[in-house]
Amino acid sequence: MNPLTVAALFAVVLALLIVAFLALTTYNAIVDLRLRIDKAWSNIDVALKQRFDQLPNLVEAVRDVMSWEKDVLTDVAAARAAYSPSAPIPDQAATSAATTSAVRSLFAVVERYPEVRSAANVLALQEEIERLESIIADRRELYNDQVYRYNTRIAQVPAVLLAGLFSWRARPFFEVPDADRRRPNADLRADTNPQPD
Amino acid sequence: MPPTLDPQLLVVSGGGLLAGLGLLVRGLGGYRRAGRIADTAPSRIASIAVGEVLVSGVVEAAELTLVSPLQSVDCVFYQSRIEEANGETIGTEFREERAVGFRIRDDTGSLRVFPRGARFDIPPVFDERSGVLGEEPAGLMMRAGATYAPPADRDAQIAALLTVHAPAGPLPSGGEVDDGWRGFASDHILDGHYTSAPRRHYREARLAPGDIVTILGMALPFDQLADPTGADGAGSVDPVLADPEIAADLASARAAGTLRSPEGAWGNAAIPGFGIGRPVRTPELDDAATEPPLAAADDAQRFERTFEIAADALILAASETVPLVIAGGPPVAAADRQERLFLIGLLGAVLAIGSAMAMAVMVGGGIGGP
Repeated sequence: MNPLTVAALFAVVLALLIVAFLALTTYNAIVDLRLRIDKAWSNIDVALKQRFDQLPNLVEAVRDVMSWEKDVLTDVAAARAAYSPSAPIPDQAATSAATTSAVRSLFAVVERYPEVRSAANVLALQEEIERLESIIADRRELYNDQVYRYNTRIAQVPAVLLAGLFSWRARPFFEVPDADRRRPNADLRADTNPQPD
Repeated sequence: MPPTLDPQLLVVSGGGLLAGLGLLVRGLGGYRRAGRIADTAPSRIASIAVGEVLVSGVVEAAELTLVSPLQSVDCVFYQSRIEEANGETIGTEFREERAVGFRIRDDTGSLRVFPRGARFDIPPVFDERSGVLGEEPAGLMMRAGATYAPPADRDAQIAALLTVHAPAGPLPSGGEVDDGWRGFASDHILDGHYTSAPRRHYREARLAPGDIVTILGMALPFDQLADPTGADGAGSVDPVLADPEIAADLASARAAGTLRSPEGAWGNAAIPGFGIGRPVRTPELDDAATEPPLAAADDAQRFERTFEIAADALILAASETVPLVIAGGPPVAAADRQERLFLIGLLGAVLAIGSAMAMAVMVGGGIGGP
């Protein structure tokens, strides 16, 4: 065979090898990204479950003294009852936001009851739930960042060339739809609230 | 007329072919690493979860720091090299790479890093050559003492930073006496004939406390590491663990239960402060040994905080499935460096193809040859 033909063949094979490497690496990277999103979601789910488990303890600890604050306690109970690990991610985001809002309202109201605020078990529960809220916020950020990277990657060359072939679609962010946003309903005006006996 | 092969050109094009392929392989590795870094969202240390994570933050010293060989800077990792070009030959005079455990801190907390088995991607901070007359480059300050040092006290570091120091004089390098021009003249002008001085190339990459670093690795609870050796190791790749005699010793120690506690596994070395000569409690020593003084109460508390790692504390290490990558700078800079490698790799492919074509032309006796 002509040496020049061999060299041309070498060039073609090298180019094909590079293209094959890029395709394979991109495919593996997308699979990795999808698994990372699933893992990031699982980590949020763990924290949501931990908060779900702590809420009854908190409500129980403050119920007797704060019997006047039925609305706030009911909001927390309702938010907890709405938690469903199998629900779609946007629904879970809305439930999580509602729970956070209800818990913040409860903490705001607890501030008006010195005997509750200073109880050791309430303090411990408050600390633990605040820690979980912070973890949920951080992990939600991580999840959204991971989803952003995935959605960007599958829209760019070379992954976009494979996206149609493997049915890769954009994943939803963990965010509350605008329609589901609501303000905390705690009334913080101390003088207009009935004081406990 | 039969084609004539120029052996020199053939060697050059063969070298170009191999070098191009080498660059390509390195570049493809860079492409994969760039993807790994760019595709992983950075975690905050306070809310980190077990598994593969990417963390970016500032390096903090843990128990010990290293002293870099070429510039005597306190650091947690260095890779130093001295190459000497003498005439047509280039040789490596000195090459050393070391790392010690350290902490990485972001705005939410800090995390302990076990760097054994890590792939470091740290750009050189010192890259200089000796002058044509053999003079040493500015900034070269060869290590004169121990490789390891206790981490500098924060207050002492602040005080050192705020102190104005007098300019230092010439420092010894590699144990040679620096006698300036006279030394050079006596070495290189012999009998009126000039002989060129060997030129040295000094290169040092290091990671020092305060540097920004990006780490991609496995976060896991400290007690999930098999044993203290495994804590720093990367599994089966550790040649020490592969030694059958050591493996048998470890197995019998595990069976006897002596590895269950740090004291059992490490003896006196498990006592915080023992390694730096100020243990927090009395060690068990031979009668003839000099007993080190106990640390003061404040120091003891500080040592306990520094040396003790809680069993459930998450740490970063290499695992058999997740290699540890430690890259200098923020994630974007780390990914950019790897992407540059990929682009150079593509140029390497062009070089390889060009060299192959050149070889073909030479072997075939020119374009249009047989």
